[in-house]
Amino acid sequence: MARVGVFVCFCGANIADYVDVPQVVAEVKRIKEVKYAIEYKYMCSDPGQGMIRDAIVQHRLTSVVVAACSPRMHEKTFRKALSDAGMNPYLLEVANIREHSSWVHQKDKKAATEKAMDLCRMAVAKSIANEQLHEISVPVTKRALVIGGGIAGIQAALDIADARIPVVLVEKSPSIGGKMAQLDETFPTLDCSQCILTPKMVDVASHPYIELIPYAEVLELEGFVGNYKAKIKKKASYVNFKTCTGCGACWQKCPVKVPNEYNMGIDKRKAIYTPFPQAVPNKPVIDAEHCTMLLKGKCGICAKFCEKGAIDYTMKDEIIEREIGAVVVATGYDLWDPKPYEEYGVGRFRDIITSLEFERMVSANGPTNGVPVRPSDGKVPKNVVFIKCIGSRDEAKGIEYCSKICCMYTTKHTILLHHKVHDSHSYVFYMDIRAAGKGYEEFVKKAQVDTAATYLRGRVSKIYKKGDKLMVRGEDAQIGQVVEVEADLVVLASAVTAPKDNPELARLLGISYDKYGYMSEAHPKLRPVETAKAGIFLAGCTQAPKDIPDTVSQASACAAKVCGLFSGDTMKKDPMISTVSNEYCSGCLNCVKVCPYGAIVTDEVPMGFGSKELRTVAKINEGVCQGCGSCVAVCRSMAISLAGFTDPQIINEIVSI
Amino acid sequence: MKKLTYFPGCSAHGTSEEFDSTLKLVLKTLGVELEDIPDWNCCGATSAHVMTENLAYALPMRNLVLAERLENTTMGIACASCYQRMKVTKVHLDENPDLAKRINTTVAEEGTYKGSVNVKSMLQFAYEDIGPGTIKSKVTKPLTGLKVACYYGCLLTRPKNITGFDSPEYPVSMDRICEALGATATEFDYKTECCGASFSISNTEVVESLSGKILEMAKESGAHAIVVACPLCQSNLDMRQPDIEKHQGTRYDIPVFYFTQLMALAFGYPAGQLKFPRHIVPVEGALANIGKVEPEQEKVKKPIKAVAAESEVE
Repeated sequence: MARVGVFVCFCGANIADYVDVPQVVAEVKRIKEVKYAIEYKYMCSDPGQGMIRDAIVQHRLTSVVVAACSPRMHEKTFRKALSDAGMNPYLLEVANIREHSSWVHQKDKKAATEKAMDLCRMAVAKSIANEQLHEISVPVTKRALVIGGGIAGIQAALDIADARIPVVLVEKSPSIGGKMAQLDETFPTLDCSQCILTPKMVDVASHPYIELIPYAEVLELEGFVGNYKAKIKKKASYVNFKTCTGCGACWQKCPVKVPNEYNMGIDKRKAIYTPFPQAVPNKPVIDAEHCTMLLKGKCGICAKFCEKGAIDYTMKDEIIEREIGAVVVATGYDLWDPKPYEEYGVGRFRDIITSLEFERMVSANGPTNGVPVRPSDGKVPKNVVFIKCIGSRDEAKGIEYCSKICCMYTTKHTILLHHKVHDSHSYVFYMDIRAAGKGYEEFVKKAQVDTAATYLRGRVSKIYKKGDKLMVRGEDAQIGQVVEVEADLVVLASAVTAPKDNPELARLLGISYDKYGYMSEAHPKLRPVETAKAGIFLAGCTQAPKDIPDTVSQASACAAKVCGLFSGDTMKKDPMISTVSNEYCSGCLNCVKVCPYGAIVTDEVPMGFGSKELRTVAKINEGVCQGCGSCVAVCRSMAISLAGFTDPQIINEIVSI
Repeated sequence: MKKLTYFPGCSAHGTSEEFDSTLKLVLKTLGVELEDIPDWNCCGATSAHVMTENLAYALPMRNLVLAERLENTTMGIACASCYQRMKVTKVHLDENPDLAKRINTTVAEEGTYKGSVNVKSMLQFAYEDIGPGTIKSKVTKPLTGLKVACYYGCLLTRPKNITGFDSPEYPVSMDRICEALGATATEFDYKTECCGASFSISNTEVVESLSGKILEMAKESGAHAIVVACPLCQSNLDMRQPDIEKHQGTRYDIPVFYFTQLMALAFGYPAGQLKFPRHIVPVEGALANIGKVEPEQEKVKKPIKAVAAESEVE
């Protein structure tokens, strides 16, 4: 005879305000298998769990129902409580009376209470048919794949490799470094970005546990946590990195000039190039879209001047495979294109630039030797207007969210301008100054005093040209008047956006992304570095806009997660997976077609009745199966059963209401 | 011959008669026949939509229903304000069948609204349905040497989700048409700034200040004349110009043409047919620039010079 214990949670006011919890307890007590039922304010707390442990022993319970929040939130917590009391953890059922009742029926307490009762009845009925299940052990490949070689990927790779776990770092451009390599100085301490970043880049290249694969992309990821296999495309560089010494003769002689991405197109690079002098690896690649030798078969100058004979025009893209156990996604961000701001004359006025263009100009290794200039006439600007929230917090033209970093870097830009052009003056149009972070507010305050920048709270409504000046008209909301500023240069703090390739990458990795294209974390507060797919983690702006300190923290957190995952030789896996009964399987293989994880393969078994003939049946790969149940639903001979969701369990639930 | 349903609006028969008559001239040359909406009524202008929703929609709706009786697929509207009311009504009625049903009861005796007629301003019709290429092919007396600032005002391209035409902030359709005529369109940043609109009557000072800035910027852009496609803009910029000059103590002397007047001129119609005497600011000075060839100016578009990058290569 089953002996069920039911534990109903108030969840503070979350449940109790909209569901009559004592009434739910009274109702479930009437079910004859329920031998014990009680309510408590926070069932997930230690005293709450203690109540469950004690009741299991005292009342000799055979299964437990916790009526509380979503099982996604605390199923693990309560399973552990069962284990601690010596009970098989899979004898737990969670009735989700928060997300499924109290939160969604806040206007009707009576109905919410009745629904909560139904959910409890179902859970009780299901739990009676629960079976003891045991975790599955799967072997682990202790190698991590890091996608993206910006500061997030670099930090994650270094931290993982320092724990003596091999790392494969894949970067799509010819050098690692990412956006941080383009920055001049960094807030709030004005450290030189290159000085703190490039040593880390060198560490990556020389680390015995890191395999750096630049100029490459991940094409495919198959398998499951601990046992992934990644297909990586190494794009043809047309340069043999083994023999190339990085001497630079090739790019000095190359006659083809292409806008330089590293300098935001302000100057030109060659068709054979390294992105910047401190690049890692410091080996050039040939840009196949612009090289005349590759396009028309004419030129060949770089090969002629290469003393090592490292140039190979016949090189092809190469596909390599790596077996890995975990993935860190660190693809960074893109800058929003401010074109929709037509009233500012973006695209028409050359002296309107983006913040990253300004950053390159004031950068010591930038195209103008660290001095900001007006793109139209090359003159050094005196009056510079910085406009924040370009595309950010703008539902009409851009995106709703705050890009988080613009307030701080704009403050930094006013300081850099002040340092580089002493007789200059900065005007900052802002909506709010968001300086939450260690030392941030102090940084802004000090900058405002030191630079004597004019801060104008309000939006800019128009920019027009008067002579060679740009007239910036906006509102100064604090005096309630329209103001016009005569500017030599206008700098737009464009929004941070998700990399445009993120959705495609998310699809191939099997993880989800949000409406903006940012990768989604498993839980916004409690699991911010994990994705919903086991073994795949997120670092940096690929998840949401972040500054460097936050990015580095998250990257290190990813490393901790990876190291934790790899701490044993095998890994425990949830036993709630499908199994096929060969006796019933007719071999129609509809299940193979619907399985989203590719977890079902075919097998040959004897026909039976003494026959030597073989027949085909479906077979489930335990490691890959995620227990979604799609195969169970399509199986016409009812040969597939999903542990934890067996037919008797489901039928019990249905019968109970 | 192409046929177009025509909604002239009240100003075409009054203040902007020169728009109406030159429009008819150029469309004749371009092979477009205008067909007036029989018994058309007021669009509601600025008054109706601040009074009642029903009137704001019902007045334009009656015109739309009447236009549907004709066979033409497009209705061309001369006045920017009429165009705005008609287009807003059409978009809202098409988006919201319940609204259409409700408002239709007011104009039921004219028929049921189907939403089958397109609504375009004459500028949009000239740009999209005729096109600068065709316009250019009809030019017999190119306006070479004439520099114009094309002024669109607030209603022809905005709001974007209603008009769906050109850019709401920096439109170029009229510029392209003027260029097709041989004129030079100046880079003019005040294309869509407000002229003061109907404050012309109730608060003239506002108009003097707003229109004054437009005149100043047009002059600054190097234009000999302003070109418009809206009767109210024309009247504010032209009729109020002497007051603005007095008010600001400056002299602009910049005539304000309808784009159709310049088209007619370039198509070879004699100036006598173009109703220039109706203008307050004399046009002769500006038109004298036609045919004058300016010395070709050097294009000053030097790229920014990267101080460092140059030294390394070659």
